[in-house]
Amino acid sequence: MLEVEGLNVWRGATHVLKDVSFTVAAGELAALIGANGAGKSTTLLTLSGLLRARSGSARFGTLDLTHAKPERIVKAGLIHCPEGRQIFQSLTVAENLAMGAYVRGGRIAPETMAEIHTLFPILKEREGVAAGTLSGGEQMMLAMARALIASPKLLLLDEPSLGLAPKAVETIFDVIEALKKRGIPILLIEQNAAMALDIADRAYVMEQGRIALSGTGRELAGNDRVRQFYLGAT
Amino acid sequence: MTQYLFQQLVNGLALGSLYALVAIGFSMIYGIVRLINFAHGDLVMIGAFTSLAMVVGGVPWPLILLFVLVVGAMAGVTIGAVIFRPLLGAPQVTGFIATLAVSIVIQNSALMILTGQPRNFLFPAVMRERVTFGTVQASVTDLLIIGLTLVLIAGLFFVVYRTRLGVAMRATAENLTAARLMGVAVHRTILAAFAIGSALAATAGLLWGGKFGQIDPLLGFVPGLKAFVACVIGGVGSIGGAMLGGYILGLAEVLFVGLLPQEFSGYRDSFVFGLLIVILLLKPSGLFVRHVEERA
Ligand SMILES: Nc1ncnc2c1ncn2[C@@H]1O[C@H](COP(=O)(O)OP(=O)(O)OP(=O)(O)O)[C@@H](O)[C@H]1O
Ligand SMILES: [Mg+2]
Repeated sequence: MLEVEGLNVWRGATHVLKDVSFTVAAGELAALIGANGAGKSTTLLTLSGLLRARSGSARFGTLDLTHAKPERIVKAGLIHCPEGRQIFQSLTVAENLAMGAYVRGGRIAPETMAEIHTLFPILKEREGVAAGTLSGGEQMMLAMARALIASPKLLLLDEPSLGLAPKAVETIFDVIEALKKRGIPILLIEQNAAMALDIADRAYVMEQGRIALSGTGRELAGNDRVRQFYLGAT
Repeated sequence: MTQYLFQQLVNGLALGSLYALVAIGFSMIYGIVRLINFAHGDLVMIGAFTSLAMVVGGVPWPLILLFVLVVGAMAGVTIGAVIFRPLLGAPQVTGFIATLAVSIVIQNSALMILTGQPRNFLFPAVMRERVTFGTVQASVTDLLIIGLTLVLIAGLFFVVYRTRLGVAMRATAENLTAARLMGVAVHRTILAAFAIGSALAATAGLLWGGKFGQIDPLLGFVPGLKAFVACVIGGVGSIGGAMLGGYILGLAEVLFVGLLPQEFSGYRDSFVFGLLIVILLLKPSGLFVRHVEERA
């Protein structure tokens, strides 16, 4: 489904991603964990076509992500829910959702909308208000809903739980699990390594721009190094 | 007195309409590329001379209007594609200077081709007449300017607030990266904003010629400057604010000249900029901007 091979990415003068290789198979939830500045967001931005690799390849099905335009990548179903939510604050909740359907003409099928409203009832209530007035948790739900409306064939989630209250984090993880049950492949970046490894089929640890470890979620959760540095075990 | 006041009001609204048409495009372009486009006023000149060429060629008026919209849009897209696109992400000063350069190139090319000689620009005779409402009169040209501007602004608001392109334009203006992640081809969206804003400015040029009766290659300077002032008054980057700023400016200017003794009328522009300073002191973000948008 997603195959990344020997990816090297520079940002300015910094060599950020170094020979990064990993895969996400169909129907799989993969977690990518790592310290601040390891290069996780850079990886996702490269997959979305917003950053260009100097060398290496990234294929999504038959699409070459290292050369395709971002809009082509979105059309192919690779949907990126970015770090820091990045909802459109001055647009209404409904308009934000319409932006999720942008590549398909901006129209949202009634059954898709109903589904979104079941997952996130709050968004129905707030339909007409400017998204900037939503709380942090609500904005995250809007960002997730906007990504889902794009009907992802692979969903990239960049730290969806960042800065949220425990209750909101739970809601977000419930939604992620629901999506996993539906068979939507997900690449999840999380600071909250324990929760991420718990639900992940496959996991990667990134350190200073390299994939340092990989395995199933359970394997990595049991790995001493991971326990020491990412799960806070003593 | 009522006739005099009414006439001033209509005159002020017509002038304000012209400022509003120019200011809206200025504001749209600023909103999406965060650059003050010094060449925006020159599209008024381009619109005026395009119209004149077609008047001379005997093209019917409704077609002239359509054609000016198209020429304005194409000129705007050209400026956007040649100047702004390569500079996207460059420091603001660079963009600033580039637009100043474009303006100077346009003005001087026009001077070379057209010479500095002002030319007469006449609307058809019917439009130069006056209509009477009870005890008051107004010029048909002014009424036409006011009416046509309202139609164009209504159309613009429809596009910006009711269509997919409009939503994408506002999304791109607020957060370029997020818009790209939604699959918006942002370069095309930016050029669309240039096209729409520039078409409105060129139409203002057609109407400007009709209202003042004379055009010359440097005529874009004043409307460009006034549009900038109108935007600052209304809040830079806000379309509604630019529109209201334009009307306020036009009315204030005309009333200043009309209501004060004759000897003050030469200070018209000092008054305009004095007003700008006062408004900036009282409300630095502009009159109609509710909050300063936080940019992620
Ligand atoms: N715009 C930029 N220009 C230059 N370097 C950058 C830029 N953005 C990030 N970097 C550098 O790239 C490296 C990786 O950053 P990245 O955002 O991918 O990390 P991350 O793993 O997502 O971290 P976090 O957990 O804090 O989100 C960091 O060293 C950072 O300083
Ligand atoms: Mg990050």
